Amino acid sequence: MRSRDSHGGTGASGGAPAASAPGGARPAVEWALRALVLVVLAWLLWRATRPPAPPPAVRATAPALRERLPAWTRAPEVRVAHAELAGVPSDTVRDWLAALAHAGVRVSYGAPALAPVAVAVEPVADPAGRVRLLAAAPGGTAVVLGDALGVLDSVRAGPAGATLATRTVAGVARAAAGNVAARGAAPGAPLLRPVLVLGTAGWESKFTIAALEERGWTVLARLAVAPDVAVTQGAPPALDTARLAAVVALDSAARPYAARIARYVRQGGGLVLAPPAAALPELAALAPARLDAPVTPHADALAGPDPRAGVPRRPLFALRDGAVAIEERDGRPAVAAWRVGAGRVVLSGYDETWRWRMAGPDGAPAAHRAWWAGLLAAAAYAPVVPDSGAGAPAAALDDAPVARLLDALGAPSSAPPAAAAREPRPALPWWVFPLVVLALLAEWASRRARGRR
Amino acid sequence: MTPFVFATAQYESGDWDSAPLVPANIIDSIARYTAIPVAPTGVIVPLSSESLLRYPFVWLTGHLPVRFSDAERRMVRRFAERGGLLVVDDHNHDVDGAFHKTATEEIARTVGPLRELPNDHALYRAFFTFEDGPPTTSHELNGWGDNLVHEHLLAARVGERIAVLYSSKDYSSEWGYHPDSKRFMAVDNTKFAVNLVVYALTR
Repeated sequence: MRSRDSHGGTGASGGAPAASAPGGARPAVEWALRALVLVVLAWLLWRATRPPAPPPAVRATAPALRERLPAWTRAPEVRVAHAELAGVPSDTVRDWLAALAHAGVRVSYGAPALAPVAVAVEPVADPAGRVRLLAAAPGGTAVVLGDALGVLDSVRAGPAGATLATRTVAGVARAAAGNVAARGAAPGAPLLRPVLVLGTAGWESKFTIAALEERGWTVLARLAVAPDVAVTQGAPPALDTARLAAVVALDSAARPYAARIARYVRQGGGLVLAPPAAALPELAALAPARLDAPVTPHADALAGPDPRAGVPRRPLFALRDGAVAIEERDGRPAVAAWRVGAGRVVLSGYDETWRWRMAGPDGAPAAHRAWWAGLLAAAAYAPVVPDSGAGAPAAALDDAPVARLLDALGAPSSAPPAAAAREPRPALPWWVFPLVVLALLAEWASRRARGRR
Repeated sequence: MTPFVFATAQYESGDWDSAPLVPANIIDSIARYTAIPVAPTGVIVPLSSESLLRYPFVWLTGHLPVRFSDAERRMVRRFAERGGLLVVDDHNHDVDGAFHKTATEEIARTVGPLRELPNDHALYRAFFTFEDGPPTTSHELNGWGDNLVHEHLLAARVGERIAVLYSSKDYSSEWGYHPDSKRFMAVDNTKFAVNLVVYALTR
């Protein structure tokens, strides 16, 4: 078989020497083109295996940060930004940095130690403290609580933060620790209507009324003294959520009111049941649990550090679905609560709590008051009246600034982030691909022109 | 519900047990007129004892000078501050008598000054109605003792609440008889005692 070279040489008599001259240059050119393509491919391979160079970071410190942000946003080459903060940034700065991060810019920030403080405000049905400020802060941190008018109190946070009960909070509730201040919206004060106490004339009735009145409640009472004779305090109104915050049923004197009490509770009213009242068949359906046999209290416990241990008690059992034990003693529920319709019912297993007030240790009357106030606060219907004059604009509120900062930007760092493992590479120069294609085409055409494959 | 227990104060000075029939008579009246559970017998409670705090209503009477010991004074003050009601009755019915002078002085020193209780006070309507204030006693009307009809009771208050109620009317003599004798009376003169107890139990 003849080769094409020998065939071509046969067709051109005496032409072999003439064809060899250009044929000697073109292979060289072809080799050069191949070499060029190989070099380019090698460069691409080298480039692919080499870690990308971190893009240059832009930096700004707190005073100038706000002015830099528009420029950082408009400049496409800004891919790494680092902000040095003096404290918790404003909502605008924080959200702007977060938006940059979401747009692909690697944002980092440095900041001094920030106390993770947060504040919440909730209304409480208690005349002695209608608003409760709850501050979260690391244990041992000094927290200053205040409102729009100034400082309310300073406390040291415990393991569960800090709590302050106060009558009102004007405008914005504030909890400050170190260089961080959390600001929460203050709800309006709860509207506290009177409480109706139903009982038999006796020490429990007397001292329950005394405790509630001393706490600041307006107490209406109907205390049975004899058949068809009762000592009344105030004019007992209709059992209606528009007139009463709660009913305290102490004993069998509540029996004639049982049907009205049930209707009142289902409409949203509050009910506190003492054991003798909860034992009434007419009221048992409202109770969140059943009463066990009485427990004989410890004789000396009344004057001890836990005086409620010396109060006669009937432990609770068989809690109904949805009922919760809000106090336990000796591993058994002592106070429980649940919802009935739109209302709430609290059942106390303690009877004759007056003994605690009379015979308890120093501070027993105040503790007895506070305990009864707690029972009532858990049950009472107290609609919150919005305080239209003191409302703060939403922009002024940030109830957990450090948490929001961490949520938006992550943990602080002292330097811009290093290159990511999958750092996007800069695009290839536009001419690389055409160059390779043209080189290969030229090499191929040259070979074909020479009659080579 | 624990029954009401009528407690008589025992103090170190004087004759605290000068009217031994009064408790039974008052207990009888409470049981007779009200549905308040009441213990059938009263108790005697030392003023200096912690057990004073188990009985928020305490009756104190006597003829002789009253001087509280430090322990008694401390307990009476605590009793009053915590909500107890101490009813003191002058068994002499004599504002110049030793009991009156010393007892009022001791009460003022221990709890606070005694002031006249208005005759329209809730005490006088707590159960029975006494339009003219404290009912007079036969000892007042007979001209015994200081020969006066005392128009008012006196009260020492803690806040707005009566902590000590003081009587110069000698109810200790007026009520010091066996309850069975009531059947011979046209009007039961112990009705005011019911008001005292009902008031203590409800206010």
